[in-house]
Amino acid sequence: MDGVILSWLLSFFLEIGLVCLIVYQLMCLADLEFDYINPYDSARRINSVIFPEFVTQGVLSFLFLVTGHWIMFLLCVPYLCYNVRMYMHRQYLVDVTEIFNMLNWEKKQRLVKLAYLVIFLFLTIFWLIYSVLEDDE
Amino acid sequence: MSAHVRSLTLKQRFSEKKCKIATSAELDGSTISRFSLQLFSFLSVSLKVKVSLLVLLHPPLLILKKQPMANEKTGPPNFPGRPAASPFAAAPPTMTPFLSAGPVVGSEASGYGASSPARFNGPSISSPPPSYVPYDVGSYQRFPTPAIPPSQPIPPSRGPPPSQPGLSPSIFPAGQQILAPSPPVSFRPQPQIPSVPMGPPPQNVPLTPSRGNVPHSSLESLFPASRPTLQPSLHGYPNVQANPTSQVPSAQSPFFAQPGGYVPPPPVAAPIGLNPREQMQHFSAVPPVGPVQGLVEEFQSLSVGSVPGAIEPGFDSKALPRPLDGDIEPKSFVEMYPLNCHPRYLRLTTSGMPNSQSLFSRWHLPLGAVVHPLAEAPDGEEVPVVNFGPMGIIRCRRCRTYVNPYVTFSDGGKKWRCNICALLNDVPGEYFAHLDANGRRTDLDQRPELSRGSVELVAPTEYMVRPPMPPLYFFLIDVSVSSVRSGMLEVVAKTIKCCLDELPGFPRTQIGFLTYDSTIHFYNMKSSLMQPQMMVVSDLEDIFVPLPDDLLVNLSESRNVVDAFLDSLPSMFQDNVNMESAFGPALKAAFMVMNQLGGKLLIFQSTLPSLGIGRLRLRGDDHRVYGTDKENALRIAEDPFYKQMAADLTKYQIGVNIYAFSDKYTDLASLGTLAKYTGGQVYYYPCFQSTIHGDRLRYELARDLTRETAWEAVLRIRCGKGVRFTNYHGHFMLRSTDLLALPAVDCDKAFAAQLSLEETLLTTQIVYFQVALLYTSSSGERRIRVHTAAAPVVSDLGEMYRRADTGAIVSLLTRLGIERTLTHKLEDARHMVQLRIVKALREYRNLHAVQHRVGGRMIYPESLKFLPLYGLALWKSTPLRGGHADAQLDERCAAGFTMMTLPVSGLLKFLYPSLIRIDEYLEKGSTKVDDFKNSSKVLPLSTESLDPGGLYIYDDGFRFIIWFGRMLPSAISFNLFGVELSGFPDLSKVILCERDNEMSRKVMGILKRLRESNPSFYQVPQVVRQAEQSRERMLLVEDQSGGSSGYVDWILQIHRQVQQSA
Repeated sequence: MDGVILSWLLSFFLEIGLVCLIVYQLMCLADLEFDYINPYDSARRINSVIFPEFVTQGVLSFLFLVTGHWIMFLLCVPYLCYNVRMYMHRQYLVDVTEIFNMLNWEKKQRLVKLAYLVIFLFLTIFWLIYSVLEDDE
Repeated sequence: MSAHVRSLTLKQRFSEKKCKIATSAELDGSTISRFSLQLFSFLSVSLKVKVSLLVLLHPPLLILKKQPMANEKTGPPNFPGRPAASPFAAAPPTMTPFLSAGPVVGSEASGYGASSPARFNGPSISSPPPSYVPYDVGSYQRFPTPAIPPSQPIPPSRGPPPSQPGLSPSIFPAGQQILAPSPPVSFRPQPQIPSVPMGPPPQNVPLTPSRGNVPHSSLESLFPASRPTLQPSLHGYPNVQANPTSQVPSAQSPFFAQPGGYVPPPPVAAPIGLNPREQMQHFSAVPPVGPVQGLVEEFQSLSVGSVPGAIEPGFDSKALPRPLDGDIEPKSFVEMYPLNCHPRYLRLTTSGMPNSQSLFSRWHLPLGAVVHPLAEAPDGEEVPVVNFGPMGIIRCRRCRTYVNPYVTFSDGGKKWRCNICALLNDVPGEYFAHLDANGRRTDLDQRPELSRGSVELVAPTEYMVRPPMPPLYFFLIDVSVSSVRSGMLEVVAKTIKCCLDELPGFPRTQIGFLTYDSTIHFYNMKSSLMQPQMMVVSDLEDIFVPLPDDLLVNLSESRNVVDAFLDSLPSMFQDNVNMESAFGPALKAAFMVMNQLGGKLLIFQSTLPSLGIGRLRLRGDDHRVYGTDKENALRIAEDPFYKQMAADLTKYQIGVNIYAFSDKYTDLASLGTLAKYTGGQVYYYPCFQSTIHGDRLRYELARDLTRETAWEAVLRIRCGKGVRFTNYHGHFMLRSTDLLALPAVDCDKAFAAQLSLEETLLTTQIVYFQVALLYTSSSGERRIRVHTAAAPVVSDLGEMYRRADTGAIVSLLTRLGIERTLTHKLEDARHMVQLRIVKALREYRNLHAVQHRVGGRMIYPESLKFLPLYGLALWKSTPLRGGHADAQLDERCAAGFTMMTLPVSGLLKFLYPSLIRIDEYLEKGSTKVDDFKNSSKVLPLSTESLDPGGLYIYDDGFRFIIWFGRMLPSAISFNLFGVELSGFPDLSKVILCERDNEMSRKVMGILKRLRESNPSFYQVPQVVRQAEQSRERMLLVEDQSGGSSGYVDWILQIHRQVQQSA
């Protein structure tokens, strides 16, 4: 059953990575709001990690799919769809000219993502421990 | 692009960093990032693991914000300051009254609220005490208000005391009722009585000596002297309709039958909604005897009745209010706070700030301000310039507020208290002055910054991040075939040449040119050359600048070369048959040339950009998109290139003005984005022909080049604790949450901002606003223009309505509506506007429905009487009206961009243009234009105003439409045009110019006169003959046309919606 544990471990790290990326974006937005950095830098920093975030999330979903964790995959799907939709509509990048008007929305969106990911993280940890214990028996 | 930016030299990066610092110099003091805290608490609970990581990533979040002061000096820029005291001496005599009014002191300042007259814009504003208002009944009715305490005595012999609303109907006619049974229903305890007898306010608002001890207990209801004995119907009984407005008996007025024996009821005290504090405020506004007088609030009403001759119920269209006098600035507010800046600089949508969230949520109109920082002042009212010299500008340590008339001095003059954040600051030694017995500074009359609401401060080097830039004009001119054919190129070249002498900032002014079709042409204008050298770059993929210097030259040094270039420009390209336009690459090239200095970029574009990066496609004529969710995409930039470019341009202090000339679709939505985020402006000349529109282009380009421009500016509006500006609307780019970056701003730009309440309850009596515009003047001086205003905090909704300013409200609503069209359908934007008006009127109705039987009448506050009409005009304005067929997409976008920058008066004129009949004046003998001014009157914009035998001028500030009636004697048209109009095939080709006869000269005189009243734009006369143009109907705002309702229907519609859930 090593494979299962390995897959949970891998998804755990991917989720950690995603959380980091989201938190980084949130911090850029918070900095912007309180004027530590100017909108140009903020937008540049956020935009530089958006694509990695999308890719990581895609990989995570794919991992759930191929390892047969259907329920986790289904839970991933809304997030994935949202990302794909944003990407298709070319709305995924932060717009530096409108960043202040969109600030609340951008923040809210990322906080929701963060909450989503944290739930995921707990689920993953649960499954990880569960499969380790199962393995022991 | 990005490659270029990345390869910036170190020096540029350095200055960029500095830029950020300068920005923060403008900033407010230390705030802990609320959000960060939130985030942290969240993280610390659920994500303890990551906190350490976070901290590593981002230490500053944990640190309390320490505001860097703007003391980064940047070496050279030590510009000779102005002679220190000279401006003071020049302080105009008008200051003296203010001075005598005494210094306004923070705690005392609340007393200013006391002098509030009861209403705005009233026709009888100048007439004495408000309580007599009912005598001069205008074309509307007035009613008692709910805001009046029950205890108020009533003016002698005007009527009996008010009875409680519940009672009055049953005992009607309730004349004999005495006051005793009407105790105060809800006498709210007064939280703060401004007990300090304040320094006397302005001369025009006499303070009563007794106001400190005006009785405000219910005992005063026993005032015997003022007890009236007879009372006509109370509480808005319908018989008050016996007044000129409503000649029509209202359906709901059973008592109307009692003929005019009744006068409109006097102001009566209404039993509820009492607010003692307000009461106090009112007292002082009126002579001591009549506390009641100040308590009048009246609303106006329209009766729905059957109009004679009409079957359906409706309003009498003649009785509807119309803004025929144009924009009226709220005078009473200025009188109340004489130290405020003039309303031309700052107008609040209501000068009564709500004191609580709940009150704020009942104010459905936008709450905010329209700021016009560089508004042109008439002669004699210029903003005084103040130079603090070496001691530096006096500002609050904490909130960075500039010293202003509302700060208070204490401690013998050693300290001053900031009026915005209440921090006690030290007065620098050089600035010290003794206080007199009243606590006023003895040198008050020497200090404009302490006695005037608007001052201009000369900023020392701390306010510079680099040496003040020279005025810089860069021209990006499309030379493709359509520009040449339409004559645009020639007009532009000639106009620029004419203006060279008048460009501001001589001798530092810099200038440069770049032309493009399918290739890009650079011009070397080095002063040592005789003729400009042209360099053609045809590689559009990888743009480079062929010559690092000499593309931008000092005008005074290279004047000969520039002259030679402008002379030869039209002929150089006269045989050009190139139809392409490499706009994007050319823009990038211009950016590369300009980004060292910044400046103003004027773009002349006459085709759709078709080559290279930023090329656009025809997307405007697809009518199927309208009505779908994708509709709004047509009105925003198609290619992200434009937004990105706009952001970069602003970053390097480049302001863009777009001149668009095409007769075909040019995608102004995309091009205009450049102007939108750089503080620029869009000029649109559809189907440009130099013979017809040449004058307009000449005038507007010349104005653009020669008007006073503020360079590399930032604008911030500070306001007192508890309120905050959250949304800004206009052409600028936000550089931080409340800092507007304006690379180039001038006297024709206004900005709007919306307020929100941060605290649930405001404890202060007055909210102060301070607009600060930090800019570089053309002469190379760094300056700060500061406008300060105070507004009272009110606790009553009625008071907010009374103090509302229709002009500012319409201005904000317009901007909100236009912004809505960028994200939603046109229809949604229109409904948003309508809904807000309906909600506001519904709230107002609810406010009054309790005490008065408003029945089926439509009621609205005096201050907002024009709001519905402007709403209708907005509904029908170019950016919002109809659908696909009702306006060209480009036209819509251009109008939208223009309206986003218009100041209040210009916008109101655009929404409700003036219509003047001139044929009578023409046929009269008198030749003086003054006579015309006296005899002409502005007519309502409906078909009824148009007489087939008349000649009219329709002036919306952007064009004149000369309307010929069908029956107009042909002699007139012959005199004006030299031809018979009836035989003329295409009236749009008719050119009105001066001919050698009396009548023609008179008409030109009138047009000239009208133009002088609005110098921002040039109005091209356009001839329209009655019923010959389909679009003629759209001009008349009050008429029904193509799916939109007329004024009467509109009012009915609003009225119904107001009643629906009233």
